[in-house]
Amino acid sequence: MRGSELASVSPPQQVVTLTVDGKEITVPAGTLIIRAAEQVGVEIPRFCDHPLLEPVGACRQCYVEVEGQRKLLTSCTTTATEGMIVRTQNTSDAVHAAQVANLEFLLLNHPLDCPICDRGGECPLQDQALAFGPGESRYREAKRVFPKPLPLSPLVNLDRERCVLCARCTRFCDQISGDRFIELFARGAAEQVSIAPGEDFRSPFSGNTVQICPVGALTSTPYRFVARPFDLTTVDTVCPHCSAGCNIKLDMRRGEVVRQLARDNYDVNDAWLCDKGRYAFRFPDAAERIATPLIRDHGLEPASFGEVLTRVAEWTDGKRVAILTGGRLMDEDLFALSKLARTVFRTNDLDHRRGGDTGSTAAEHHAAANPMAVTYKDVERADAILVVGLDAEQEVPILHLRLRKAARRGARIWVLHPRRTRLHDVATHVLCAPGGEGRLLAGGAGGADATLDEALAALREAGQNAVVLAGERPGAADAALATAQAVGARFQYVTRRANDRGALIAGVHPSLLPGGRSMHEADEVEHVWGPLMNREPGRDAMGILQACADREIDVLLLIGVDPLRDMPDAGLVGRALDNVAVKVVQSLELGSLERYADAFLPATAFLEKDGHVSTWEGRGQRLRAIRGRDGISLADWEIFASMALACGGDLGFETLEELHEEMGRLVGPREESLTTAGVGAPSPSAEAAESEPQSPGAPDGEGLVLFTYPLLVDEGRLSEGASELKAALADEAFVEVHPADAERLGLTDGGRAVVRTDAGEAELPVRVTEHVAAGAVFVPFNQSGLAANTLLSGEMLARASLSAAGDPATGDLEPDRKPATVAAGGGA
Amino acid sequence: MAIFEGTRLGEAQAIMARYPEGRQRSAVMPLLYLAQSVEGHVTREALQEVAVLIGVRTAEVEAVASFYTMLRLRPTGTHLIAVCTNLSCSLRGARAVYDAAHEATGIAPGAETSDDGEFTVHEEECLGVCELAPVVQVNVANHDVVTPERVHEIVERLRAGEVPEPARGPAVESFKAASRMLAGFEEAGSPAVTQAGSQAGSQAEGANA
Amino acid sequence: MSETRRVLTAHWDDPGVIALAGYEDAGGYRALRAALGKTADELIQLVKDSGLRGRGGAGFPTGMKWSFVPRDTGKPTYVAVNFDESEPGTCNNRELVEREPHALLEGTAIAAKAIDCHLAYIYVRGEYLWQARVLQRAIAEAYAAGYLGSNIMGGDYDLDIVLHRGAGAYICGEETALLSSLEGFRGQPRLRPPFPAVEGLYESPTVINNVETLMNVPHIVNNGPDWFKEVGTEKAPGTKMFTISGKVERPGNYELAMGTPLRVLLEEHAGGVLDGKAIKAWTPGGSSTPFLTADHLDVGLDFESVMEAGSLLGTGAIMVLDETDCMVEAARRLVEFYAHESCGKCTPCREGTWWATRVLGRIEAGYGRDEDLPVMAEMGENILFRAFCALADGAVSPIQSTLKHFMGEYEAHIREGRCPVTGRGPGLDAEPVQEAVTFTPTGPFQIQGATP
Repeated sequence: MRGSELASVSPPQQVVTLTVDGKEITVPAGTLIIRAAEQVGVEIPRFCDHPLLEPVGACRQCYVEVEGQRKLLTSCTTTATEGMIVRTQNTSDAVHAAQVANLEFLLLNHPLDCPICDRGGECPLQDQALAFGPGESRYREAKRVFPKPLPLSPLVNLDRERCVLCARCTRFCDQISGDRFIELFARGAAEQVSIAPGEDFRSPFSGNTVQICPVGALTSTPYRFVARPFDLTTVDTVCPHCSAGCNIKLDMRRGEVVRQLARDNYDVNDAWLCDKGRYAFRFPDAAERIATPLIRDHGLEPASFGEVLTRVAEWTDGKRVAILTGGRLMDEDLFALSKLARTVFRTNDLDHRRGGDTGSTAAEHHAAANPMAVTYKDVERADAILVVGLDAEQEVPILHLRLRKAARRGARIWVLHPRRTRLHDVATHVLCAPGGEGRLLAGGAGGADATLDEALAALREAGQNAVVLAGERPGAADAALATAQAVGARFQYVTRRANDRGALIAGVHPSLLPGGRSMHEADEVEHVWGPLMNREPGRDAMGILQACADREIDVLLLIGVDPLRDMPDAGLVGRALDNVAVKVVQSLELGSLERYADAFLPATAFLEKDGHVSTWEGRGQRLRAIRGRDGISLADWEIFASMALACGGDLGFETLEELHEEMGRLVGPREESLTTAGVGAPSPSAEAAESEPQSPGAPDGEGLVLFTYPLLVDEGRLSEGASELKAALADEAFVEVHPADAERLGLTDGGRAVVRTDAGEAELPVRVTEHVAAGAVFVPFNQSGLAANTLLSGEMLARASLSAAGDPATGDLEPDRKPATVAAGGGA
Repeated sequence: MAIFEGTRLGEAQAIMARYPEGRQRSAVMPLLYLAQSVEGHVTREALQEVAVLIGVRTAEVEAVASFYTMLRLRPTGTHLIAVCTNLSCSLRGARAVYDAAHEATGIAPGAETSDDGEFTVHEEECLGVCELAPVVQVNVANHDVVTPERVHEIVERLRAGEVPEPARGPAVESFKAASRMLAGFEEAGSPAVTQAGSQAGSQAEGANA
Repeated sequence: MSETRRVLTAHWDDPGVIALAGYEDAGGYRALRAALGKTADELIQLVKDSGLRGRGGAGFPTGMKWSFVPRDTGKPTYVAVNFDESEPGTCNNRELVEREPHALLEGTAIAAKAIDCHLAYIYVRGEYLWQARVLQRAIAEAYAAGYLGSNIMGGDYDLDIVLHRGAGAYICGEETALLSSLEGFRGQPRLRPPFPAVEGLYESPTVINNVETLMNVPHIVNNGPDWFKEVGTEKAPGTKMFTISGKVERPGNYELAMGTPLRVLLEEHAGGVLDGKAIKAWTPGGSSTPFLTADHLDVGLDFESVMEAGSLLGTGAIMVLDETDCMVEAARRLVEFYAHESCGKCTPCREGTWWATRVLGRIEAGYGRDEDLPVMAEMGENILFRAFCALADGAVSPIQSTLKHFMGEYEAHIREGRCPVTGRGPGLDAEPVQEAVTFTPTGPFQIQGATP
């Protein structure tokens, strides 16, 4: 649909017709011969060619004969022209001979270590050598010898002897990720991929180079010497780590995941995967996994589902129930949960969000009601893009790559964020005060920012090809939505976690019903679900926790969430868990909730589930169970259905098909969502627009505002066991300060500082950088060394003071160096 | 910054100004030459500092540095003696000249720099003075029609602290000095350009008259 | 063949032309003054009419090259002067510049004017340290005298010329590699299209010309196209700089009419073969052009005639080998050059030159095997026209031409275990040598193992 829209505004495409091995094919002008040949089913051998990298013509394996040309041509660098007659190795002896000869050159210095090479059995070089290489080498001289392997990082190893110098890896780093850690060094026969001495290949996309390596030159540590392709069972699925929704291939040996690879899907992840998606795959097999229902008697004792659910029914009967969940559930689970809460527990005290991310009501509403308002392809084709309150590389890495792809195509990009992001080489950054995105966008902060004006003008000019993306920084998304509507740009609220978007669509939210319906639109929902007793918006996550702490809630269901870790007020969470009478945990394991749980319901892990997950675009992608369930765990939605029955209700579905049928009636594509998905759509919800988004604002005097968000590789639950990934990419906790503030406070880069907030304090290493807004202090949310929620009071922002560690005199003896403390506004 | 600070930072900026705004990556080679003129070869620190100056990653600078033979990534003697052994020179006895250079400098077989760090002898591809073969460059200044005896003499004089006059232009006192010129900086008292060009076997001699 | 004359070398007897005053006295910068009064189109037409062809090796018509440059793209245009003269046996650019540097600046300025260019780079190979210094001085003189810089000669034309020194890479003479290098990258060739005329330096339209080519331009402007065509051949008018080196009595750079037979150059100018020996082989245009033999002494030195004889005019660099020289050694040394200078980008060049060098080295050393010769011949076929750029084709020239003309010498090396010409080699009873080769531009790898 989107494609045809674009086609109607693009000039008619020129086409050319050529023949490849006698087969006629018409392709768009500019198509390379190698691509045209693929379309008629002719596979021309290649090593350096990659459809997503610019042609280089280095390996010389893909020769073809073109009638009228004296020399053979490389099909990966030659574009098809009208009437061209191409003969490949299938129909031309000269081409075949040239390819055999080239293979001989490639194999001259290639070691005969296939038996111990990780690539053996799935190696293009090996395959081609077997298919038509000479059985015996005519090369009698000594081969090149390199020390091997050269570790490029804790994740990636380089064996230079095996390398055929196709430059796929270096071109990936140059053209796709922009993380140019590896390069071709030296020249001639000494040419080699290498890295600057003392540096690590510290790119969160490094694993892609391993996957696209056409030989065994680049290998990954987690898979090194682990398996042979013929030992593996490969299944297709979708990465569970973030809302990018990358399509992956998952390799299992004897039921255990040993490798994850990107699977091509040009509508979603192209052919890429971030290193977290690639290397954090051990969590389903984590030792802490519990696959038996438990109930607290004296201690937590194994029980049956029936026993536990009966107890849940007793606990909840006539009681005040609240439900918290996270970003892990599938669309089906979320829909069932939404219905369970509304129709069985009669509550809207239901939330999936990390508390403190609230306050973007209009954007959430827009997201819930407008699937696919902006897609990856829209980003890729955009002319002007404004990114607000989102650190794409760290939060949705594949979206980051798409933004870079857009930039490479000529898109102009602006980023409005309190901290510079890794788009810095392709985008203009405006560093704003934490929470200040809205004020800047509204032009209210003492005259609009000139750079931002330029961005807005570019967005207006780009019309159909203007895109505004907003992330989860407090207050950013609603302001960005208003801006998008003002300039007529497509808008998308980019939620971070794997299925936050699905939760919004399902209405796992205190004021949203399925399909982005507000409480005013409850009639439509009642038409399917029957009467809803409660039409008042419920409490959000922090409200629920506060109510638990105040003993206003009797039963708290914790579904796949660890509030102690996730919620931005560790103290409040502790009080809530202490004070709420009953805690029921439904998850893969108990972790730190073990001492609180009154009952545990074991859920199936992502590999064991069947259902859909929605990307940040709102694209539902189907996953299928790829291995049997662990123990006696059940799919979350099945537990909800049983729980409903146990509690005297009935969700009305017993099979996935029945569930899908009902979902189709409430969250399927709706006419109005499609029409509002277009350019400059009015806010889909009058109500949302009415409810003035709470703007945390920006500090209006001198002082420091602490902000935080999770970095890609952190201490999160799903990274358990990913030791190589953490060794390669995880930072220890740190605090980032602007040089002006650092100077004022006597802090030095590399020194240590004590960060104090109303909620707590922490001593952290200091990074002084001009790439954070003055007056702002950044700490990562969940790195080793600091759980940042111990510094928070319900917001992802906090007023903070900093002082040099080991400087007890601060504040008292030197008044002018006293740490500044200023309210974050609207917050605490 | 250790290498590019003070005056030298100014020089680096002058180098970068040779290229249009936004194209400062073009300055990578002259900047590396300038660093080489300070340290005698391109050090790891030089790679890092040049990367910062032109706004690229260190690997990108080393990729360039390792591509070009005149940017030397290994410690190099005070004097670099380059002997062309390509065809025109080897037809005129370059092999013996090369061997003599090794012998005179006492560089161990298989090594390229003398133990005392005074000399590096490098076998060179065509130096573009084919009509005056065999050709040797001492600190990138040419010596024409060189014999093994002449190589011994050159090395002896270098050991004695003199730099023999080359065939064209003034002597270049060290490899570092040559690197500075390669960065595009002339020392005070520029060479007298009125000095005649090559002296042998050309039409200037009336051979074609 | 027509008469010859000295144009580019006319003032070589006058050491004064190295400086601006001497150059002006000899008529210098008159052509630039005239060019400033002409439109770009007029200048391009003038050079087209002259029939001037590039002297760097490929012989592409210069005026046509200039005419390909779009001047209305909104981007700047650039002239890049290819003074990366590195082809073994070739050194005329060096002498042209070190004697008369202003002639290059004047030619460059006229080319720049013809494509509305205001910034030109001269890419000079690093080894030409002295020549770069000479040029640098000349540039300073020209600026001071108002021949370069803003408002040249009081008019409204501005031009800056900047020197860029290479650092030891033959491949940078390939025009796209030169641009890569000038932009601060590894000197690896780039795909064409886009052609440099449309998307060259800094993605902008760029003309890349050889030194000798540009030095002809002021004379064409001064004297007109018809004058230029008075010498040389119809298809290749003008004079050509020839370098003759190796086994001749008077090696040197000689300016002769295009089409002059080798015999004339060798005997009348270079004084014949050294020590009265017999000529055995010669390259017509540097190391990348196939060897010709004593049978080809009457071949005219122009693009077409040399090609008919089975070689290429290339840079007009004649390297002469006599009857005492070993052709296997010569081939090995030249192929070694290509292996050393291969940029590494593409497979046939990187691996093929490496393989060929090592097989040739083994034959030369007396450890050849019968199967080496067919393998070498096939290897040549497998490299030729298969690589990314022409560098590898250059490596094939010495292989194929020595196999063609001197097969007997190869066979004798293998048969006897030593060179039939020089007598060098261990003979047949020798044990194979242990290999311990270090081939390490940056010290990354070693060769291990023995050659059986």
